Amino acid sequence: MKFVQLRVVGACMALCLLHHPVMAQDSGYEIGLGKSVNDWLTLGGYFSTEYEKSSAVQQLQLDDVAVMAYGEFSNRFSYLLELESVNAYVADLERDTRSSNFPPTIERLYFDYKGSDHLSVRAGKQITPVGYWNQQPINVLRETSSNPRFSKEMVPKFLTGIDVHGFAPLGEDLTYHVYLQNSRDMDESNINIKPESHYGFALAKQYGNGWRIGGSAGRFKEAIGSASGTRTATRYWQLNSRFDNQHYSLIAEGIVNTESAVGAGRARSKAVYVQGEYRYRPRHSLISRLEYFHDTGVAVPERIGILGYSFRPVFPVSLKLEYQWHQESSNNRFVSSFSVLF
Amino acid sequence: MRIVLLLLSIALVSVAEAAEYAVVVARNSPIEALDSERLRDIFLRRRSFEGGIPLVPINLLGEEAVRTQFESLVLQMDRGQINQYWVTSHFQGIKPPATQASLQSIKTFIERVDGAIGYLPISMVDDGLKVLHEF
Repeated sequence: MKFVQLRVVGACMALCLLHHPVMAQDSGYEIGLGKSVNDWLTLGGYFSTEYEKSSAVQQLQLDDVAVMAYGEFSNRFSYLLELESVNAYVADLERDTRSSNFPPTIERLYFDYKGSDHLSVRAGKQITPVGYWNQQPINVLRETSSNPRFSKEMVPKFLTGIDVHGFAPLGEDLTYHVYLQNSRDMDESNINIKPESHYGFALAKQYGNGWRIGGSAGRFKEAIGSASGTRTATRYWQLNSRFDNQHYSLIAEGIVNTESAVGAGRARSKAVYVQGEYRYRPRHSLISRLEYFHDTGVAVPERIGILGYSFRPVFPVSLKLEYQWHQESSNNRFVSSFSVLF
Repeated sequence: MRIVLLLLSIALVSVAEAAEYAVVVARNSPIEALDSERLRDIFLRRRSFEGGIPLVPINLLGEEAVRTQFESLVLQMDRGQINQYWVTSHFQGIKPPATQASLQSIKTFIERVDGAIGYLPISMVDDGLKVLHEF
């Protein structure tokens, strides 16, 4: 059975490499840029496979399979639709079990209106415009296979609502987002937090030397458990900074959450990560990340260190290896992935 | 003699640094000038308007000198960085600017399409076009 799974992964890799991903051609199809049918319709998608091995877990999975369609109705109106199967196929090699989950869910569905460079509106299900990691959520665009823990636990990844955004009138390179959700998510199948309401703002400033800083703050409410009427309200404050040049990139994000529930007092979580990437040769890079995560409800804060390697024959095709060291050594693991944006 | 040599070298440097290419719009466009930062935002599709006018940036197909010079001097990116940028933008539902196959078709496109903006050798600029930026 293991051979069958490996053959599936191998076939996917061969298919992508046979596609001969070469330099940009401005006509026809090019991997990573989708297939443009006309102004109204560009088709694309992505997938990722992942292998994970720790003392307790050994699994191979076809993690994400997604298709996207987007286009422009005019120079002011556009849309995007993304359907995704999460954990499409999982083979637990430790317990010798298999599971699949192919029915796709709505990952994103939104419409954009550009009033001006200072005022645009996005309505529908979209990625919450907080920080860096949250806005590049797919494996192929990330530097590592794994996500920092805070990105999964502290802010709703998705927003079903409205985001007003643009360049701030105050500064040429200052951008803003003001976002609001006042309903349940459009499709709650594969979201990390299921808020009933969520609002916040984000600011980012770009400097000419490759440096960027930003921050955001917001509040969301979610129902907990099956008991009706039990809700928590969480406030968050987030800061981020990123520096890029030809050979290096450095990213840091930090976030503090304060969660309150009727009769349950307050709980605070804080998390920070710093990640560096060194592109030592074209297509090859080394990545290191240090994470700290502390939930006051848990006595011991968690510290995670990651060392990884990334190979991209072309940017939209990514092969990654990483080893994670956890404070609790039984959680140490090896993770590898192969992902493609097409 | 030294003065002659000095003047000669200044003249040579001036010739060497003279701009060969220009970013242009149609003569009747209300846009008068744009700096390279604003042009970078427009051709990377971070900005879509200038003075309330929707812009239509246009690229030359392939890797002709005018395009590589534009990418290097105005966008300040090499082709690898540009590819990476557009792959990331594809996930966000943003396409690169449309392309035209020749310099002449870029010129015609700019003259005929409202809001069109592109780059050409200065030698091709005539009364139908307005120069916004030289590089």
